[in-house]
Amino acid sequence: MEQLLQQLVNGITVGSVYALVALGYTMVYGILRLINFAHGEMFMLGSYFALTLIVSTRVGVLQLVPNVLLGLLLVFLFSMGLVSTVGVVVERVAYRPLRRSTRLAPIVSALGASLFIQNAVMLTYGTQYQVFPEGLLPTTVWRVFGVEVTLMRVIVLAISLGLMAALYAFVQKTPLGTAIRATALDHDAARLMGIDVDRIILTVFLIGPALGAAGGIMVGLYYRQINFTMGWTYGLKAFTAAIMGGIGNIPGAMVGGLLLGILETLGAGYISTGWKDAFAFVILIAILILRPTGLLGERVAEKT
Amino acid sequence: MSRSRGIALFLLAIMIVGVGGCAQPKAEEKKPAAPAEPIKIGVQGPISGQWAFEGEGIARAVNLVAEQVNEKGGVLGRKIQVIQGDDKSDPKESALVAQKMVAEKVIAVVGSYASSLTEPASAIYDEAGIVHITPSSTATKLTTKGYKRFFRTCFLDDRQGLFAAEYFSKKGYKNLAVIHDNTTYAKGLAEWTKKYLEERGVKVVFFDAITPGEKDFTPTLTKVKAANPDAIYFTGYFPEGGLLCKQAKELKIQALFSGGNAVNNPEFVKIAGLDAAKGAIVTTEPLPGDLPYPEAKQFMEDYKKKYGDYPKSIWVILAADAMRLIVTAMEKTGSAEPAKIAEYLHTQVKDFPGISGPIIGFDEKGDRLGTIHKAYVVDDRGEFVPAP
Repeated sequence: MEQLLQQLVNGITVGSVYALVALGYTMVYGILRLINFAHGEMFMLGSYFALTLIVSTRVGVLQLVPNVLLGLLLVFLFSMGLVSTVGVVVERVAYRPLRRSTRLAPIVSALGASLFIQNAVMLTYGTQYQVFPEGLLPTTVWRVFGVEVTLMRVIVLAISLGLMAALYAFVQKTPLGTAIRATALDHDAARLMGIDVDRIILTVFLIGPALGAAGGIMVGLYYRQINFTMGWTYGLKAFTAAIMGGIGNIPGAMVGGLLLGILETLGAGYISTGWKDAFAFVILIAILILRPTGLLGERVAEKT
Repeated sequence: MSRSRGIALFLLAIMIVGVGGCAQPKAEEKKPAAPAEPIKIGVQGPISGQWAFEGEGIARAVNLVAEQVNEKGGVLGRKIQVIQGDDKSDPKESALVAQKMVAEKVIAVVGSYASSLTEPASAIYDEAGIVHITPSSTATKLTTKGYKRFFRTCFLDDRQGLFAAEYFSKKGYKNLAVIHDNTTYAKGLAEWTKKYLEERGVKVVFFDAITPGEKDFTPTLTKVKAANPDAIYFTGYFPEGGLLCKQAKELKIQALFSGGNAVNNPEFVKIAGLDAAKGAIVTTEPLPGDLPYPEAKQFMEDYKKKYGDYPKSIWVILAADAMRLIVTAMEKTGSAEPAKIAEYLHTQVKDFPGISGPIIGFDEKGDRLGTIHKAYVVDDRGEFVPAP
């Protein structure tokens, strides 16, 4: 029983990061019907920018900023902002010129952008693992009902859920959010209603990468070890989560992420840790056979 | 295009080797007539490229031994001339270097560093009948090709498994969790360790793989915790090793954390954090500076005197041992013929005082017998020091 609870805690933390990254895939897909393969790299860039900021401003060592938490908050905001900028640039350079072409062209372009960013980071920082400084946040561990819960896990969960709730409220309640939903339904109709579709696409490419970056920063702060290929590993999982929940559907990505995290953890815990991924993907296939649109996906009429 | 050129080069290599092989006996016959002619011994290594650091050390060690022998008047009344070949960390270059060695009519070669570099060269040396000793290539397949004159002064992965199993059973550990990462090396080491542990009556209560490149191993570790081992042995590499060690601590797993020689890296401590890494054990070849033998202490000082710094890696030491074995074989057999040297190494080496420790012989495949592995522990400053 304790083992089950512990595995659930493990799964939910991992899953919340998947969910955060999955949102970027699902939002872009919702608006452009494009699988943004460069999104995993936004996650990776987030952690590299954060590391660079932490090391160069020496947060927690130099006390340049009066408080470590405030310092980290600034690191979060700056890194997310930088990654958003990269996201917008990628959209301008790699996707916008191809908007009227076949559906395959932007996907190839996305793969190209992904390789470009990965190699740029590799050449800048080197191939070795980068390590976040130790002791930025206390490594407190609480014991709750026989389950070990670390402070960092609580932080990861709180930030992920907070960001997701904020995004949900933004998309559901604000005029800009409504415009995003309208554009996702039908570009032309949205344009007729006076919505600037290019601005909506820009907004999506600001928000998605920022959320991905937040995930990357938290992974860096918690696991403390990052490398330039990690965008691929996490990106693949997040993409799977987006499909599981129904790609294009924002709550679907959140549910899919958490579900994937929990499923693979239970697979590891009760079947075999070596077969963890296989187990998660078998579930994905099963879901897609039973519900081809994913868990929360709606049947969308194919647009011509 | 480049592939067909590669094949053409390879064929050319074989042709040259064939010629070299034929020429070899004639060269041997001529030698007694000109006793002053030096004995040529090759050293092949990645002196440039990604493994340049290791290749340079290997070449330095061989040159140093040759110099020492020459100062004492050489061997069989002749001087040793070292022919140096840089394979540039590239398997294609390795074959070219091997051809050069054959053309130079060397009698023996020490090298190369990585298994991927040693393999193409070993085929060429075998054709040419040259004695070939690698100080550092541990891939099992290298000695399974039936080459009669190929040896290694390093050990296969199963020796490390044997050492680890002996260490744990000697220290009184009863239940072990063995974790690998499904790479050839790590899985092999894990399986050997499991086999040797069970032979010694130590129970393996957990045996499974993690996926390298991932960051969260708490699902695996939660399962390990439930199996309640008194030690965890991880046979993969340091990036995952560091994360496992850190996360085990977070899950309040009391078991000792230990790893194989791929965990032996300062980054391990950085990733795990000093708090978690403190007390962790790694099984590995000893660092040159920790070798207790008088030959080793002497060699370390000689090396420093010539090159300004102590040798950093064990492979340097094993390269020196390879060279010393060749020289000894020539002295003992009174001959510089590869066939005699190979026969001596196969049959006569019993307890040669190696710098890396006693060399108790080679098996019929050319693999070194015994083991030189040691246990290291992470101390309070986060450094690996020999474990008590």
